[in-house]
Amino acid sequence: MGIGDTRMEKGGRGAPVNISLKGDGGEDLSGHIHQVPCCVKHDGPASVSDYFKPKLAGVGDDGLPLQQAHFRGRLLQGTTLPLPHGFSGFVLSKKSDSLADSQTECWETCATFRDFTYWNHEFAPSHNDDLFRAFHWLTLSQALHNPVTHEELALSSFSL
Amino acid sequence: MGSECVVPEWASQPCILGIDEAGRGPVLGPMVYGCLYCSRSYKNTLSTLSFADSKTLKEDKREELFESLKSNDSLGWAVDVIDPRDLSAKMLQKNKINLNEISHDSAMGLIHRVLKLGVLLTEVYIDTVGDAGKYEMKLSKVFPSIKFVVAKKADSLYPVVSGASIVAKVTRDRALRDWVLDESAENMHRNFGSGYPGDPQTKSWLEDHKHPIFGFPTLVRFSWATCNTYTKGGAEVLWESDQTEEDGGSNNSNGKRQLKLSNVGFTTSKRRSEEIESSGKGRCRFFQSRKLEQLTYF
Repeated sequence: MGIGDTRMEKGGRGAPVNISLKGDGGEDLSGHIHQVPCCVKHDGPASVSDYFKPKLAGVGDDGLPLQQAHFRGRLLQGTTLPLPHGFSGFVLSKKSDSLADSQTECWETCATFRDFTYWNHEFAPSHNDDLFRAFHWLTLSQALHNPVTHEELALSSFSL
Repeated sequence: MGSECVVPEWASQPCILGIDEAGRGPVLGPMVYGCLYCSRSYKNTLSTLSFADSKTLKEDKREELFESLKSNDSLGWAVDVIDPRDLSAKMLQKNKINLNEISHDSAMGLIHRVLKLGVLLTEVYIDTVGDAGKYEMKLSKVFPSIKFVVAKKADSLYPVVSGASIVAKVTRDRALRDWVLDESAENMHRNFGSGYPGDPQTKSWLEDHKHPIFGFPTLVRFSWATCNTYTKGGAEVLWESDQTEEDGGSNNSNGKRQLKLSNVGFTTSKRRSEEIESSGKGRCRFFQSRKLEQLTYF
């Protein structure tokens, strides 16, 4: 997640991948992105809004606003997560005209999102879920990658 | 729903209560538990009210009897409508609750409700679900002050259960008839039939409303085996909660690979299975415990 043009190395094969991320690219799908606790073996459009009808379901133990929905007879409990400040979500699709060019794979932005709803099957979402905890990395990563100033360096060597 | 708003005078005398169910077998719509209660001294009059097992009565006769028992001050009633969404969810969750348990809980819930109203229940008549002896023991344990009569065909043996069966059956029929479909897809219709899997009208409704991704509208009890015959050919769905049970067994199946890949959102990668799980395997514990792995290629 980020804005701008990104190049990634394709593992093993070494062919470069060109991903075009446009913050204003295409439809804003905020409120329509669902991460479900199952794998649907289908790639393509589905009439989600006609069949998947989340309903507000109060507040969880740790204060998360909860939703409920049913999929294939199972009760799902979910919560909508805003993406952290400074991050955007992108829905990418492979550019078809790039297929002829075997050297570079091109992905382009077809939609963006600022939040997504993630669903658990057996239990209500909580701050202890892996997905929530994964976002800890962002804080940590920032701390790791922030440049260290001379003053900070001086302070820390002083304390040693 | 029920006659709860008015607690009758006779409630403080010893009372009898009958419980019966409607819509246990159907693949469509709610299952309804109904109960009827009255003072023990009213028992003889009750048997003159021509209540019979609801299944032997015509629909308009049942409706008529329901209206008459509602307006009878000597009778009280209550229903528990169990939504098909709840039936499916309970029967498909990891710790599956079977239909017998759901039925027992519903019946006990009704007894609780009536007791809470202040009705002095001394005898409860109930159609058995599962083994009658075990059911009676379960009930007596929860309600030690009540004498239970658990019997097969209680609805045709005891008028108070016959009355309860009318309450349940009429409520179930109305609930299905007035069902508001949650789904907004086009070309949906309401020719549900009786809801029983063998009913030709129900069969064609199921055929008309099956969906390759979503299965069916939520009116359908997905846990019914008959559903599988309609959804064959639809998209396969693999659940994380089902999958973990099989861990330790053969977890290199294609399903597992696909499933875990879905976590990162790419399902077309050709990585080998041990690299597939987004487990953070081999990484520092911070990443492992958050199932974060490095994605360096699509």
